[in-house]
Amino acid sequence: MTLNCAEIGAVYKIEQMELPQKTERRLEALGMTHGTRIQVINTKDRGTMIIKVRGTRFAIGRDISENIQVSEVNA
Amino acid sequence: MKGNMTLGFIGNPNCGKTTLFNAFTGANLKVANWPGVTVEKVEGAMRYHDQTINLVDLPGTYSLTSYTMEEQVSRQYILSDDVDVIVDVVDASALERNLYLTLQLLELGKPVVMALNMMDIVEKRGMEIDTHRLPEMLGIPVIAVSARKRRGLDILIHAAAHHKGVEEPDKLLHNHPETTGHRHNHHEEYAMVYSDLIEDKIDSIIDVLKREYPEIKNYRWHAIKLLEQDKEITERYPVNLPEVIDRSYEMDIINEKYDFIEEIIEEVLVNKEKREAFTDGIDQVLTNRFLGLPCFLAIMALVFLLTFTVGDALGGYVERGVEAVSGILAGGLSVMGAGDMLTSLIIDGIVAGVGGILTFLPNIFVLFLALAFLEDSGYMSRVAYVMDGIMSHIGVSGRAFIPMLLGFGCTVPAIMASRALEERRDRMRIMLVTPFMSCSARLPIYVLFSQLFFGERAMLAAYSMYVIGLFVAIAVAFIVHKLDKKEGGYQRMLLIELPEYKFPSARTVLIYVWEKVKDFLTKAGTTIFVASIILWLLLNFGTEGYTGDMANSFGASLSRWLVPVFVPIGLGYWQIVVALIAGLSAKEVVVSSSAILFGIANINSAAGMEQMGAVLGDMGFGALNAFCMMLFCLLYTPCAATIMTIRRESGSWKWTGVCAVFQLGVAWVAAFLAYQIGGLFL
Repeated sequence: MTLNCAEIGAVYKIEQMELPQKTERRLEALGMTHGTRIQVINTKDRGTMIIKVRGTRFAIGRDISENIQVSEVNA
Repeated sequence: MKGNMTLGFIGNPNCGKTTLFNAFTGANLKVANWPGVTVEKVEGAMRYHDQTINLVDLPGTYSLTSYTMEEQVSRQYILSDDVDVIVDVVDASALERNLYLTLQLLELGKPVVMALNMMDIVEKRGMEIDTHRLPEMLGIPVIAVSARKRRGLDILIHAAAHHKGVEEPDKLLHNHPETTGHRHNHHEEYAMVYSDLIEDKIDSIIDVLKREYPEIKNYRWHAIKLLEQDKEITERYPVNLPEVIDRSYEMDIINEKYDFIEEIIEEVLVNKEKREAFTDGIDQVLTNRFLGLPCFLAIMALVFLLTFTVGDALGGYVERGVEAVSGILAGGLSVMGAGDMLTSLIIDGIVAGVGGILTFLPNIFVLFLALAFLEDSGYMSRVAYVMDGIMSHIGVSGRAFIPMLLGFGCTVPAIMASRALEERRDRMRIMLVTPFMSCSARLPIYVLFSQLFFGERAMLAAYSMYVIGLFVAIAVAFIVHKLDKKEGGYQRMLLIELPEYKFPSARTVLIYVWEKVKDFLTKAGTTIFVASIILWLLLNFGTEGYTGDMANSFGASLSRWLVPVFVPIGLGYWQIVVALIAGLSAKEVVVSSSAILFGIANINSAAGMEQMGAVLGDMGFGALNAFCMMLFCLLYTPCAATIMTIRRESGSWKWTGVCAVFQLGVAWVAAFLAYQIGGLFL
């Protein structure tokens, strides 16, 4: 599934990212790489969401969330 | 340990670096740009025993790659010989992410001291950090500081001063198995040791580097960068090792760094479950799918309510002060036997103009206090999230809303804040529409005209200007977005960190507000002072020399020539035209020149307003005209300082010209519609 379909409160693991290189690098610098766990804090329509990665919250837009493949992790 | 020393402060965005920096240097900062790029360079200095310590605040950054301008600037500067010791400012409450930059800094091979900031927040959340184990694992001094409570500051400088010239790490104590398959055991030398595969490659590259580029200081760092296929380093030090660097190992290196970080966190962080409950709780409401937008609007409404009510309450004191000064000056001048002309210049020109503006200082003070509070509390970046949906309709990310919001304070820093946007196209759009966000300089105009003509509904009339300005800004951006055909393939990416909520630091807020108040006072003392004198000259001299009647002055004749253009928008009075033209120097000048034009000493006082209301009333200037006046002032070409800022940030005179003319046109059309349609009903 893609991240934009995620549910509030659930934890996911990044499987794959298909983003422009520049964006992908920035996400990597922030600690978002393959296998990283993401907790979804809040969502809005259109896939804009607040996520928690390695202890920090980020707001990301739909253009990012719909291009990240994730799988759910059973907490 | 003699002579001068330079400390480079580096850290992630929102790690409290600026607060810490200010704690050392106070407000004695030198702000400039790095040579050749529009990235801010902030410098300060302090005394420590017998040496002068220079402090340089580097742009907040998450990593030291060379993908963004900020990262490039920081990296080049840190690698240069100018920096003696790197002070790595770390947000203890987000240790995991902050350590990534720390690990990169360690690899540079320069002296590093860690300032572990925000320990108070960590404690408040019931967490603990083992500050003995952390330096053992990293090999650098770790000093717990609280920038807000000003704790640990001297110790930090002491540690940094003693660490100058120390390039070997302190003793490293680790839990790794002693025997690895690798031919060297690096665990004694480096905190960050990679897998054998990577370490072998690093060694092979170092061998080549030593042979081909003996001038390089830090072989290991350069080898790692070559392995990551870093653009800048690969171009500068090409090595021919296709079998070693067979692909980019950047991802592996990042992952292994984060693996090590997890190991550190495991050992040094106690009780990490309790973290972040507070921020999560607030965010449940403020970034809620349905409540987010209403909350934002309510907060902004509160900000403006405070600006008007508290500001006006305090304004009375300034008024009395101005009156007193005016009285003393007039008395003094007549005692000294000064002529009519000099007395008129000082009392009717300078005191009326500059003094009239000073009475608005409290309003501006309260507005900036509120904006500083929102920024330092961590709410500002939530606004980017809340507004992302609306902003996506105009083709930019929610992040672009932050400069627009800052525009309520002052357009100049707001336009400079548009630098944070990555796409040039977005920056240009935001520069075009930000001047429509009603800045604090326009506030005196609303206060004056709304109180004159709208009585009890004065606040509503003034508030409507802010809403109209916001609406026009978004509408214009929307139309530009729809007209722009070259949008294909472009993606707007929202990616912004949401820091923990915290109670704003009084010091940070006060320094911020003081800077703005100082700007305002400087403007009153320079631009408005000069504009007042020029205006007085234009209004008191005519073809027949010094004239007592302004209607015969140069200013009046010039403006009468333009009056026909302003008749259809309800502003066809030569005095108003003079005020509007003068307002191009600074928007407050519209008010200060009204004071001179209508010969009123204290324009914001009850008596002064009554006098001006009577004069305007006689001229046939009513509530509708006042509304058009406010509307035109809201939208027309911004002040000279803003125009110069647009020129500097866009690098284009053409675009600057387009902005200025376009805004004038929008103002005329809006006032025309308001006057003509309003005239049908009134």
